[in-house]
Amino acid sequence: MPVYFSDHEVVLPGQLLSDNGKRSGEGTYVVDGKVYAAQVGLATIRNNRVCVIAFKGAYRPQVGDEVIGVISDVKPNGFDVVLGKHLTGVIRIPDRRKVQNLGLRVGDVISARVKESSLRGIILEHTRRMRRFDKGLLISIHPAKIPRLIGRRGSMINMIKRMTGCRIVVGRNGLIVISGPSPAQEFAAVTAIKEVEREAHTQGLTERVGKLINSILKGGVR
Amino acid sequence: MSKPKLITEDGIRTDGRRFDELRPIKMEVGVLDKSDGSAYVEFGKTRVFAAVFGPREVHPRHLSLPDRAILNCRYHMTSFSVEERKPLGMTRREVELSKVIREALETVVFLEEFPRTCIDIYIEVVQADGGTRTTGLTAASLALADAGIPMADLIAAVAVGKVDGQLVLDLNDIEDKYGEADMPIAMAPRFDSIVLLQLNGRISKDEFPKALALAKKGIMEIYKLQREALKRKYSATPQGGM
Amino acid sequence: MTLPLHSKKDLTARIMQEKIYSLLQQGKRLDGRGPRDLRPLTIQTNLVEKAEGSALVTMGGTKILTGIKVEVGTPYSDRPDEGSFAVNAELLPLASTTFEPGPPDERGVELARVVDRSLREGKAIDLKKLCIVEGEKAYILFIDIYVLDYDGNYYDPALISAMAALATLKIPKYRVVDGKLEKTDEYFTPELTALPFSVMIGVLGEKFLVDPQIDEERVLDVSLIIGTDEKGNVVSIQKNSPGPVPINLMDEIIEIAWEKTQEIRKKFLEMVPAKLASKQ
Repeated sequence: MPVYFSDHEVVLPGQLLSDNGKRSGEGTYVVDGKVYAAQVGLATIRNNRVCVIAFKGAYRPQVGDEVIGVISDVKPNGFDVVLGKHLTGVIRIPDRRKVQNLGLRVGDVISARVKESSLRGIILEHTRRMRRFDKGLLISIHPAKIPRLIGRRGSMINMIKRMTGCRIVVGRNGLIVISGPSPAQEFAAVTAIKEVEREAHTQGLTERVGKLINSILKGGVR
Repeated sequence: MSKPKLITEDGIRTDGRRFDELRPIKMEVGVLDKSDGSAYVEFGKTRVFAAVFGPREVHPRHLSLPDRAILNCRYHMTSFSVEERKPLGMTRREVELSKVIREALETVVFLEEFPRTCIDIYIEVVQADGGTRTTGLTAASLALADAGIPMADLIAAVAVGKVDGQLVLDLNDIEDKYGEADMPIAMAPRFDSIVLLQLNGRISKDEFPKALALAKKGIMEIYKLQREALKRKYSATPQGGM
Repeated sequence: MTLPLHSKKDLTARIMQEKIYSLLQQGKRLDGRGPRDLRPLTIQTNLVEKAEGSALVTMGGTKILTGIKVEVGTPYSDRPDEGSFAVNAELLPLASTTFEPGPPDERGVELARVVDRSLREGKAIDLKKLCIVEGEKAYILFIDIYVLDYDGNYYDPALISAMAALATLKIPKYRVVDGKLEKTDEYFTPELTALPFSVMIGVLGEKFLVDPQIDEERVLDVSLIIGTDEKGNVVSIQKNSPGPVPINLMDEIIEIAWEKTQEIRKKFLEMVPAKLASKQ
């Protein structure tokens, strides 16, 4: 398919990408049979469709996504959960006693799985997959950067876990819980994750993040 | 102060520019941390910040729209941005400018992507030297792009006017004050469409197409600078220190 | 991690409250600072030409822009040989999801009044130097503070920015010609007669931390802002949050305030070309 960009080129809203309006994907729009970029991101072809992987695309929860959230309301029939700056979900439990037995309070951090996601709202699963975190640090990065944080086959996140010795649970929605053996190691993990968020679009990131962790752990926290 | 001479016989303006020259322009994207997208733009001495929040929930909920996002826009000036201190609070001028800027942006933002939400745009003028609404709109467009809000195009804006009988591009404060016409104009260049247009003053029917052509020339240059500013932020090489 | 729920309400994750607490017990903080460490400070002055004085201050992630506009008015009848100043502050909606557009709410009003008190009681400038014609004309300084980016503790950087703008103020000189006031092309910069600065001190489980970052600010038991001048006087105090302060902690709080404001004072003088009135 002839296109007007090179693969993974940075494109901007309004930029002409191709003349084949029938083959357009996320991050694009079609006018008069032509495909244009709608967001700032990397243009590429996926499933034979021209699309833009936005640097700061809004996170649309997919069924099955593992997310992390903070309980914001406890009701007789379930919980409200804040999933990010502008995103909330609900857990519906028809059994009142079950809700009480779960013993969750406002402010508790949980991980859950997305059960349903539509324009009407996000419903989370309350089965044993839902876990409450007892301790650790909760940070948030832009959800669009989570794939980069995980890395190909988990390469980036596993490196950070291994080098810092921290347990890190990554929510697809951008919330992350970190728990480590010492404050310095937790600090190294947080700093590394924030660096990935900031420099997600650059090359040689894995190496630089590794060096960053080393310098923090060897040279002390400051 | 009596009316100063705004343009010499040789076509030199008060700040040394020719009729079709833009002021020195500076643009930076992602300058404020707490917003979802932000930008800082200078057109000569006019300096403006813009920040975007959203899409986010509307409160109270009954004010939301079922099929699209609501765009809110606040154009505001600091008290010290102008020669005579502007008292705190919104003046009628700021209310009007907030509306026309919002309407310009509504033309290009894909509001239907985010029903029952709102997108808040805040423009803050920290120094005013003519063209604050066009600088603000240029900055707001960058901030929206920075926030990842889907849009059909960036919006570039500039004011053209008439001083001492001549059409000029990108009015500064003195030209705005003492000139015969001030016409702010904004376009979505991809579609050759005007999204903001106002006139303060008077201009002949024959001059109008020339003014429009002059504006478009300036707008294409500004559009290029906007694209460069956005690309700068996402260059493949790392920026800044670690 | 604090997540904005909507407008002023904030939801703090319980584990973060506990983490901040337990870190502090070990003398550590989220961003790697020690309990008595201030965030990095930057000061830029004279950046807004239309303002007679201006300063942009960053303290960590908090950014404050202050501008001073000078007008000529009539002095108060009970102080005919003095000029005056007024302080206003706006928490701009650009700065935080918890700031809404509109007239200053209680937080904005409080900020302005706290900065005002530090400058006034701290006697930062000699109001007599702002007199033009006794009983008739005097300078009025409008000190307007704008919070551009809020990452905790806007109080201290707001005062620093007001002081920096004052220190680099360019007041147009007026003279009387044929009984009328005429503006000349000359300017003068009034000297600072004192250096009042403040520090925000938070208390969490009987431990202190200074200059709280936003996540810390939301979980503190209580916080106070203490202003001092260079002579060791306490010139302003504001307990700015609900919660009790055990009275036995006050002595140590004042000592910490003195130590940290001295540090800010030193940095200020290194970064700002301030003219100080000669010591009497």
